[in-house]
Amino acid sequence: MLFLVCSFSINAFAQKGTLRGTIIDDETAETIFGATIYIQSTGTGTTSDFDGKFELQLDPGEYTLRISYISYQTIEIQNVEIKEGEVINLGNIRLNLAITELDGVVVTSQRVTISEAAIMTAKMNSPNLVDGISAEAFSKIGVSDAAEALKKVIGVSVEEGKYVYVRGLGDRYTQTMLNSVEIPSLDPDRNSLQIDIFPTNLINNMVITKTAVAEMPANFTGGVVDIETIDFPQEPIYDFSLSFDYNPDMHFNSNFLTYDGSNTDFLGFDSGTRELPSGADNSDIPTPISGNSSQEVYDFVSKFNPALGPYSSTNFANYSASLTLGNQYKVSSDNKLGYIMSLTYRSLSTHYNNYQLGEYQNQPDPAAYDLIYATRQNGTLSEESVLLGGLSGLAFKTENSKYKLTAMHLQNGESTGGNFFINNSESAPGQSGYTADSYNLEYSQRSITNFLLNGVNYFNNTNWEVNWRSAVTLSSMTDPDIRKTAYTLSLTGADPRFNAGAGGFPSRIWRYMDEVNYANRLDITREYDLFDLPAKLKFGGSYVYKERDFEILSYNLQFFGSQPDFEGDPSEILVDENLYGGGGNIYYQSGNPDPNPNAYNSNVVNYAGYISNEFNPFEKLNVYVGLRAEQYTLRHTGRDALFAQGGSGNNLDNEKVLDGLDLFPSTNLSFDLGDDQNLRLAYSKTIARPSFKELSFAQILDPVSDRIFNGGLFEIGGWDGNLTETFINNYDLRWEKYMGLNEMISASLFYKTFQDPIEIVRIQVQQTSSEFQPRNVGDGQVYGAEFELRKSLGFISESLRHFGISTNVTLVRSEIDMTEQEFRARKNSEKEGQNVNDTRNMAGQAPYILNAGFTYDNLDLGLDTGFYYNIKGETLTAVGGGLFPDVYSQPYHSLNFNMNKNFGEEGKSSLNFSITNILDDSRNEFYQGFNTADEIFSSYNERRSISIGYKYSF
Amino acid sequence: MNFKVTLTYLAGFMLTSLLLISCGEDNSSGTEQFEAPSVEAPEATNGIVDEPVEITFTISVDGGYASSSVTAGNGTATIISEPSAGAKSGSVVVEFTPTAVGTGTVDLVVADGDGQTEDATAVVNINNTVLVSDNITSETTWRDGRTYVLGGRIAVEAGATLTIEAGVVVKGQAGTGSNATALLVARDATINANGTATQPIIFTSVADEITPEDVDAGNFGSPNLDPDVSGLWGGVIVLGNAPISAQNDNGDDVTEVQIEGIPSSDSNGLYGGNDASDSSGSITFISIRHGGSNIGEGNEINGLTLGGVGSGTVVENIEVVANQDDGVEWFGGTVNVTNVLVWNSGDDAIDTDQAWAGTLDNVVIVSAADSPFELDGPEGNYTSSGHTITNATIYVKGNGAEEMIDVDANTDVNISNLLFFGLATDENGNAANIISSDYPDYAANTNGYSIIGIQAVIPSGLTAADYFTGGLDSEVTEVAGISNATVGADASIFGWTWANLSGALSSIGL
Repeated sequence: MLFLVCSFSINAFAQKGTLRGTIIDDETAETIFGATIYIQSTGTGTTSDFDGKFELQLDPGEYTLRISYISYQTIEIQNVEIKEGEVINLGNIRLNLAITELDGVVVTSQRVTISEAAIMTAKMNSPNLVDGISAEAFSKIGVSDAAEALKKVIGVSVEEGKYVYVRGLGDRYTQTMLNSVEIPSLDPDRNSLQIDIFPTNLINNMVITKTAVAEMPANFTGGVVDIETIDFPQEPIYDFSLSFDYNPDMHFNSNFLTYDGSNTDFLGFDSGTRELPSGADNSDIPTPISGNSSQEVYDFVSKFNPALGPYSSTNFANYSASLTLGNQYKVSSDNKLGYIMSLTYRSLSTHYNNYQLGEYQNQPDPAAYDLIYATRQNGTLSEESVLLGGLSGLAFKTENSKYKLTAMHLQNGESTGGNFFINNSESAPGQSGYTADSYNLEYSQRSITNFLLNGVNYFNNTNWEVNWRSAVTLSSMTDPDIRKTAYTLSLTGADPRFNAGAGGFPSRIWRYMDEVNYANRLDITREYDLFDLPAKLKFGGSYVYKERDFEILSYNLQFFGSQPDFEGDPSEILVDENLYGGGGNIYYQSGNPDPNPNAYNSNVVNYAGYISNEFNPFEKLNVYVGLRAEQYTLRHTGRDALFAQGGSGNNLDNEKVLDGLDLFPSTNLSFDLGDDQNLRLAYSKTIARPSFKELSFAQILDPVSDRIFNGGLFEIGGWDGNLTETFINNYDLRWEKYMGLNEMISASLFYKTFQDPIEIVRIQVQQTSSEFQPRNVGDGQVYGAEFELRKSLGFISESLRHFGISTNVTLVRSEIDMTEQEFRARKNSEKEGQNVNDTRNMAGQAPYILNAGFTYDNLDLGLDTGFYYNIKGETLTAVGGGLFPDVYSQPYHSLNFNMNKNFGEEGKSSLNFSITNILDDSRNEFYQGFNTADEIFSSYNERRSISIGYKYSF
Repeated sequence: MNFKVTLTYLAGFMLTSLLLISCGEDNSSGTEQFEAPSVEAPEATNGIVDEPVEITFTISVDGGYASSSVTAGNGTATIISEPSAGAKSGSVVVEFTPTAVGTGTVDLVVADGDGQTEDATAVVNINNTVLVSDNITSETTWRDGRTYVLGGRIAVEAGATLTIEAGVVVKGQAGTGSNATALLVARDATINANGTATQPIIFTSVADEITPEDVDAGNFGSPNLDPDVSGLWGGVIVLGNAPISAQNDNGDDVTEVQIEGIPSSDSNGLYGGNDASDSSGSITFISIRHGGSNIGEGNEINGLTLGGVGSGTVVENIEVVANQDDGVEWFGGTVNVTNVLVWNSGDDAIDTDQAWAGTLDNVVIVSAADSPFELDGPEGNYTSSGHTITNATIYVKGNGAEEMIDVDANTDVNISNLLFFGLATDENGNAANIISSDYPDYAANTNGYSIIGIQAVIPSGLTAADYFTGGLDSEVTEVAGISNATVGADASIFGWTWANLSGALSSIGL
């Protein structure tokens, strides 16, 4: 590789300059193969390849290009300036069909980055509903990761800064793909990937598909987010960027809570200081009663990291740096080789000094309206997060094919220190009443490694296209050594101590999840004429295998006898003289039977095949019909606690828990109303399948939330243990008008019906702890409208032409039939004057999402700047009923400012300045009762931050 | 030549005869050539005294099976199945009933049709410890002289009866979280655990070296664990169909909820119903020790949990020692309980919830770590006539109890005849024990619930009002010492308890 780079470098620095461009059909945005590019002054020329791309080596100077193709208008591009050793990329050059006899059109070359416009064109010409955001927009709106970027897309909201919701439908209904192949989640509790792990400099664009087509996987309903990583470039890239982000309330804060991690924490992984002590995974660990000697118990307990609480230290601001290199070379007359390499590093420091969490309940008395608290927590939470990402890609292009090999690794480590005051009220049912001082230490390590090999081969003058992909993704999530230590406080000012029935005993937990995913996909496209108009036949298939291993190991600190006298400092506990065998009586007790019911292994085999046809029955109507078949088999290995203890409980050994062959029809109609307007109509059937964890007998105590998750296969109460997939019918109608470069207006209506949707249901019979189970609830439906406008204000006055507005609004109503059990629980807790219905909103469904931007773009000054606003309506996030009130996330008014300025010679330097959370709004989730004030489920404020970034392109 | 021919024939005849004879001899002596039978004993197994175990010997009998005989050491053995006569292979099943602890032997001799024999000896390790790892679904008796080890959370399921004979020792394996061990008596199941003052039933940890022989000998205390070692296993949970006040009920369904500490995936944890006179059986003279392990945050197992237990159930003479959570906790129900001693509880000693409508009579509480009495009321729209606690003696000091009585506006209890002593002072000499700040709310109740008849030994320099805060001091009579008191528990009832036998009661003057 090094040799190739060196040898091709010689070509790159030759006397001549390079001119590149892509010829596309203005109307369809499809590339044109075989167009002639002719330089009049030199009499030289070339033709475009199957990608519509061309390249010419020219002496420095100014040229005029003539581009022609049969039945298209010839265009002339003037003032194209070629400089020695440089690459000039003209981007997409649009040819219009020569419907009327016109002279050639003359355009003047200007340096336009075309990707955002390309997304727009793709959007306009796609047979189905797509939206997207390109790399160009990332810098414009000043975002550093994919999660931030997606917030700006119509109908998209991002939960907790990382989970993508499309049209307000929960993440269960959103699918994430990387380079058009499925990619696993990094969260055992979620179906979709945490999108914030992708730094924007590795992304070329993100396309959100909202209506299904046969070649896409059937398991989405809101949308598919396809992240396309950067491709090898048309022109050489040597970019370096650096940015700092300062939050006056969070950074250089001497109260920042931290603890001593490992010496590789700065690289996003733990080098071993948080590792499970050796021997701790045996079912029989040394304890005072295990038969081991006291020295063995002492040696074992000593292996646990003695830090049980954080200490204060001053933190630094956020910063990030990235480096991207890329280029392409001519290998022989028709072959090209390109490479891309990108490295990124980001360090974030977050500090909340008033982080609040609450557990509230309804009062039994129907005349008592106020919510009463069971537990309230408030305190300080500090997080340090490191993200290291690297991508390298190699692409090879011949006359009739191109091949791409990409390898990517993302590594993220997040270290958290917390200190909370816990107030438990005995007035709440099932609660004993206490106060406690709690210390939390957590570390979460996530990584994804992805290899993709992609080939596209053209046959028969590009009439046949064969596109194949094969990808391997290894993902891993580890939470090593989550430590929680809560001193129960005295009522009379005496020393604190540990009380099992109050704040609990110190505990620590290790949680592991590993997943491997093999995805293979083949798509064959045949272009032909039907009814004398172009048509496309597509068929293909895919094979996906994924397997997940999950395990939680927990340990409880115990005293073999009375507790020593404590002062309330977490560092005074695991000291030598307190340990069993060291003069004290502390030891660890295992919470892990063998086999472990808090562990499972699941795998999925998914075969899919499809056929679709895109054609025009008459000129103004584009029809895209398809049928997809998916054979999906999920197997599970796991057991419940009764089996684990040796009893006759439930045990599954690689047994099928979901097995189905389903057909998914889809139809997309697009009427060309003329004048760059489309009217679209779509229907599709899609599916939402229960996750690995949901189809299990797992009983998982989540250390972070203290909630117990029960697998959906358990029969509990009225639930029969038969958890099935959800089938969804999707109907879409959209009108859209494209008005010019980056200008458009659209309006859509959508309607979806859900058969047996799955929700995480709170188990009503359990009142002392929080237990949940995924269940199919009653049928549901969602209907909504979307509106989008992007317009330059130039139509008001020419002087305002650099100002623009962009806005999109999504309004949704959802309704779900309550299960009998839920309705009864709600009815039983009905307040006086309240009338409980048997329908409610779907969990996770936002009633509205609004994005708005007011921008000033001036290419001549190299300046683009804007204010961006984003809000999502009050959303049901946790379904209550009975004793437990519903939880709603509250609207968060996000207003950000961003400015980019290019300067220096040819704008090689650019400076970015941004302010986030200008309104200083808090993120709140509230319990809502009837006829009473809301109470806090969670509340924190990210505060205002100012960021400055600098980028230099060599 | 004739002679030669004749000789040749003669020799041929003789030779042939010889051959024929020798062949005949071969045939007739064939049994001698069959291989002797082979007998294979199974690997050593575990057995329990008086519990028959089946031992299967694998045999092959070349000469055809004829018979077997068995002899046994440390037990009796009978053959219960054998191959049919003449069979070349098969198995012989022996039922062995151990008679004494130690090594049991079963010697099987197999004979073939020729009288050839072979033998093999199976070894049975006989002890008196039974591992219980599955739920109890049929009539089961745990027999005296044995130790039963709970291998996990063992439920006596609805319809089943578990009888535990006096003198039995039950031990929970160690564990926390989903690994915690407990004995759970589900609704519609019955437990008959009737110990006696001379043969109590002991529930403890596997770490406890106490044996049924110790119990026989009158040594009811742990030979190796201190009475402050807690959290080694779970506890005993009894559930029934009596009314509870746990949530609102619009009349069309029975109120039932899941007991604290048991995940709802185990439906054996449901309790509550409409049958006030329900019986879960009878529990007398049991001592529960070293339990209360953590199942989830703030979710531990009490020493004895009584959820929706009906008045038909007998619960008497209960000792709970060193439980990491509460000593005894009631969740509704109507059961009456007498003679309870709670020593070194890690949380509250006596805890009531969900409108328990019964009486607790004669209680001794020694050194609770949280409130000796944490008393609550209805949690749903069902209310009862409340519960009664009477004749209690409370030694406060030792583990840090601060609130001596924890009641609030919702508490539905009548308390009378309490004797408090061992009250603590802090480093400044001030009272270190108080009454819940919600006591005035409780006292203002309109249902007639009250706390009356308290006597207390007040440290010198302090007054009843320093300890019995919120106005309860008006019900308190100071006494110079417990011997001067006229109220409190009859401590002599607790002679059988570990607390008494260890001297812990006498050391505080009881």
